[in-house]
Amino acid sequence: MSPAADTATRLRRLLAILTWLAQEGEAPIDEVAARFDLTPTALVAELEMAACCGVPPYTPDQLLEIVVTEDTVSTRVGTVLARPRRLSPREGLALAASARALLAVPGSDEDGALSRALAKLDRAIGQTGVEVELDAPDLLETVRSALDAHQRLTITYYSASTDQTAERTITPRRLFASEGHWYVDAWCEVAGGVRRFRVDRIATAEPAGPAADEVLADALPDVAARDEVSGSTGPLGAFVPGPDSRRVRIATDPAKAWLFEAIPSVVEGEEGGRPVWEVFVGGDAWLERLLLRLGPDADVLEPAEDRDLAPEAARRILARYGNTTGA
Amino acid sequence: MAQPDRLERVTDLLLVLLDASRPLSLREIGDRVPGYPAGHDARRQAFERDKRLLRDEGVPVLAESIEAEEQIGYRVDPDAYYLPDLGLEPDEQAALNLAVAGVHVGEPIGREALSKLGMGGSWPRRAAALPLVDLPLVDGLPALPLLFDAVRTGAVVTFSYRGGPRSVDVAGIRFRGGHWYVVGRDRDKGEARTFRVDRIDGLPEVGAPGSAELPDGFDADGEFARDPWHFGPGEAVEVDVAVDPAEAGRVVTELGPDSVVERTDDGGVVVRLVVTDVEALVSWALDLLDHAEVLRPDEVRAAVVARLEAFVGTGTEAVR
Repeated sequence: MSPAADTATRLRRLLAILTWLAQEGEAPIDEVAARFDLTPTALVAELEMAACCGVPPYTPDQLLEIVVTEDTVSTRVGTVLARPRRLSPREGLALAASARALLAVPGSDEDGALSRALAKLDRAIGQTGVEVELDAPDLLETVRSALDAHQRLTITYYSASTDQTAERTITPRRLFASEGHWYVDAWCEVAGGVRRFRVDRIATAEPAGPAADEVLADALPDVAARDEVSGSTGPLGAFVPGPDSRRVRIATDPAKAWLFEAIPSVVEGEEGGRPVWEVFVGGDAWLERLLLRLGPDADVLEPAEDRDLAPEAARRILARYGNTTGA
Repeated sequence: MAQPDRLERVTDLLLVLLDASRPLSLREIGDRVPGYPAGHDARRQAFERDKRLLRDEGVPVLAESIEAEEQIGYRVDPDAYYLPDLGLEPDEQAALNLAVAGVHVGEPIGREALSKLGMGGSWPRRAAALPLVDLPLVDGLPALPLLFDAVRTGAVVTFSYRGGPRSVDVAGIRFRGGHWYVVGRDRDKGEARTFRVDRIDGLPEVGAPGSAELPDGFDADGEFARDPWHFGPGEAVEVDVAVDPAEAGRVVTELGPDSVVERTDDGGVVVRLVVTDVEALVSWALDLLDHAEVLRPDEVRAAVVARLEAFVGTGTEAVR
């Protein structure tokens, strides 16, 4: 036990140990200690202390029923403090939502153990009424198989930030869902480094042979990669500004502030009574989308060459509608 | 022992409060739990600290009025503290553990839930590289656990949404496209509505258990407004949008294969959407830049063109 552990932490851990132990009946001291991150000595001290707790007049039925032998500890189902406890709303939500999320992964076994566990949870705490939807892109299974089998894939990929479609050969390393969308972190042979791809933007994927050992051995950066420019950690999968990204300053109406909530940005002063936002831009197309959403009243302050982006994008789209206004 | 162990006192206190068949006064508690100071004020102070610790740990310590000198008594109702045994099989426990390990909710709160159910401690590392799922749950969404509890207990909730008060019989919560939503019957409108949880101002007020009045057979799944262009109060219109190959995959993943009314040889698609909020649809279409074109009806095409024409010609003006 770390000397710094306060009473609340110790109480939480003691109850966790007792509740787990009641289901096991009896367990080796070493195993329990390792499982709950204690030294065997500290575990025994904690349980011997608890074994002395009880309600006056301290007849055996009023004491916590904990038996500590030389090698094992035991308690039994039904012992006070060793029974499952009610969950707080946050805990119930976390558990039900986690289970639902895993069931929403395409290909999960809908009648399997997790569904049965969730049904029992629903019965015990009331209908939880939580649903989780995740994307099911066509090529998710292809990417997952390549990941599991250590295979490379040649993909055609549309990059939304640069508005380019290109062919690349990748080695999938990690698959995850963030904000409802699937991403794969993969070694990209064109880029010569690990890049993040949205699975639903992969148009085609063909097997390209086994992965190179040195690529698989390479350590992956943390999934919630640090944002090197602002120093903050964004949600998984969010746009992570790279060395090529640029800073753009935009003045806009405060009513549009919510559009900046989901992107890496900071309020940076004021211009003509309007807030100025600094955003990190990885490609023109990404900035075009943002500016089209902000509306014609938003002004790009810097850099000057980005001021024409929104009108040019508008003209390009208008051309598709057979409209040549201003073109 | 040189120093009395506070954990021992707190554990004894919890046992005594659970055992109490009636609320116990502080004096009675002091008689039953070893380790409290003798003086009244010091005892009161020590007890208040322990009580706060227990409540912070989620123990429902009840304070009730009693006919005694001290007037307030304390106990813990075992039914409010313990959960009926879930009776989980080993494979079901393992599955719940995988779910908690594989789903990232922003805090180790799922682990704490498992500890309470007897599945605490570290589990053997999972062998297969299971996909990770990131689910925003606690960060910045204080309303969500309250709504979850309202659904569970069948309670009506009131909250402020886009500046107006709403009174909703909630039926379910749902994660879709990166956001949490709550669906239920809006009492003032008298019909089903979907609300984005992160747009709720402040904390919802949750009514008494069972206070929600949902019509029999209310179908939370069927009533859920799936896309932003379903949120509007307008007449529903069908809108056809042509999407280039570059974005076709993402759009079909987002809308589902049933939305596709035509596939072109080059891999592009035409999708049909039912729209009640034309402005939301226009924003969605513009996010596809020149990879999409609203084909019909004409009034929605005109709305896209109008939005774009407002940009043209403003680009070269001097910045204020």
